Amino acid sequence: MPMINTGMDAAIQVTDLRVRYRTKKGSWQEAVKGLSFQVARGEVVGFLGPNGAGKSSTLKALMGFVQPSGGEAKVFGLEAGSLEAKSRMGYLPEVALYYPYLTPLETLRLYGELEGLKGKALQTEAETLLETVGLKAAMKKQNRSLSKGMLQRVGIAQSLLGNPELLVLDEVTSGLDPVGRKELRTILKDRQSKGATLFFSSHELSEVDMLCDRILLIHEGKLVEEREMHDLKDELRKYVLTYAGQNPDALLGQGWTVAQGQTFSKRFTTKAQLMAALEKVQAAGGTLVDVVAEEGSLEDYFIETVRRAA
Amino acid sequence: MKFRIYRALARAVVLESIRRKDLWVVAILGFLILLASGALGFFGVQGLQLFAKDLAASVLSLFSAVVAVLTSCRLLPEEIKQRTLYPLLARPISRLDLLIGKLLGAVIVTWIAFLMLCALTAVALTTFHVQFEPIMIQYIIIKMMGLVVLCALSLTFSAYMTPQAAATMSIILAFGSGVIVRGLIMAYNGVGPATQWIYKLIAAALPQLGVFDLGGRAANIGWSPVSGAVVLQLFLYMATYTGAMVLIAWAKFRRQAV
Repeated sequence: MPMINTGMDAAIQVTDLRVRYRTKKGSWQEAVKGLSFQVARGEVVGFLGPNGAGKSSTLKALMGFVQPSGGEAKVFGLEAGSLEAKSRMGYLPEVALYYPYLTPLETLRLYGELEGLKGKALQTEAETLLETVGLKAAMKKQNRSLSKGMLQRVGIAQSLLGNPELLVLDEVTSGLDPVGRKELRTILKDRQSKGATLFFSSHELSEVDMLCDRILLIHEGKLVEEREMHDLKDELRKYVLTYAGQNPDALLGQGWTVAQGQTFSKRFTTKAQLMAALEKVQAAGGTLVDVVAEEGSLEDYFIETVRRAA
Repeated sequence: MKFRIYRALARAVVLESIRRKDLWVVAILGFLILLASGALGFFGVQGLQLFAKDLAASVLSLFSAVVAVLTSCRLLPEEIKQRTLYPLLARPISRLDLLIGKLLGAVIVTWIAFLMLCALTAVALTTFHVQFEPIMIQYIIIKMMGLVVLCALSLTFSAYMTPQAAATMSIILAFGSGVIVRGLIMAYNGVGPATQWIYKLIAAALPQLGVFDLGGRAANIGWSPVSGAVVLQLFLYMATYTGAMVLIAWAKFRRQAV
């Protein structure tokens, strides 16, 4: 976890956040139940959780679309949803719907003007962004004629208007094909390299894996895990040691399987265990055949963590 | 800065409305006006200037009110339903600015529709050899002020109820507020002084859209325009009532979860 001393240093500071909605029957339902976390400036943080975990509600509270029923959310030390905070943020909504009878260029011009941009600078930025997201050819077609993926690209372009310091992206890869996802990764990494902070929710764990410095996992409105991506990958990584030699059961303990003939292999969950086994194999006169590092499944980790939390 | 926000929001409303072909409805209505006038001409009613002008004023009043209500009622609920509101609210603009910009857009669409209808009606009236008088210009200007009030009223209703309910309420008040006020006056005279203030309050809260309709006056031949003081008072009423409506809508919308 990055060292953060005060909320002023953090891009996002959420403290005991609670969000609730009134149901159709008139009772209150709490979507976020005392959530606390921080996102440092320049960090890329993935916000994960199953459907209905409270991800979108948290992002909406950050944007000021819903008022917290308790706790607080701050962006760059400013009250979340304030005009000052929003002027430093870009937001991609979960479901990308834009005015159907406007073109992507007109859409970006509209949002750009609301952002305070104007004139030729706005026109150039809108055109450049649409080109960046691969909509150069479609920038003058009406939004209603665009596919879901293309609308998502419009959404991504509008979120980048005004070069925001913080990007809040809800289901960022929704509707994008593999090419689109790769292009998006490039765009986001470019923004990060320029100092932007990225906070996004996604169900695409492969994207999270490739983009994030850190993940926050929530379930039923509560934070259940907060992990550095690097540490998590180390933890999930497994090592398979294969050696040739005599039967290991007596010398090296249980768990070895016969790979082929006089070749045996075993899976280790930590690097320390692997090193210890290697020493034993060498001491027993075995011949090292192979050591393979297997990347762990983020999906399995996600499912297991959520299952435990439930 | 604020003006740029309002202009950008209003432009989007107008562009959407034009491209959605909402104004085609107005064109069709206008065509019906022309057709009706042609039919009257066929039956030999030329020369009935008063009747023709009165009918034209009524038709303009009806159609422009329908356009105002339908345009304004769906702005906010549609934004929320289609989730086009999110990227707007993500910008550094206040919800009050958003409401004002949207209202401005609805007013411009309504004015365009009204002026189109006026132009078509003018063409129709020429078939009756109607003489155009300065009061007709005044009628148009004051009617446009009344349409601002109606747009604000519809937008406010839509912040509190479904678009259908808001449209129904707006239409009832657009055409029935005069009748309701007359009923209130009768009731006012029949109750004691202790409760009369309630009737006064209700009458003050109701939109007095009838005062913006100079149709009856314009239909007569040779009637002079109303004085500048009256126009100013109407303008002040429009500004006050519209401002109040926007604030009432904002009271609901400002903290509404979207």
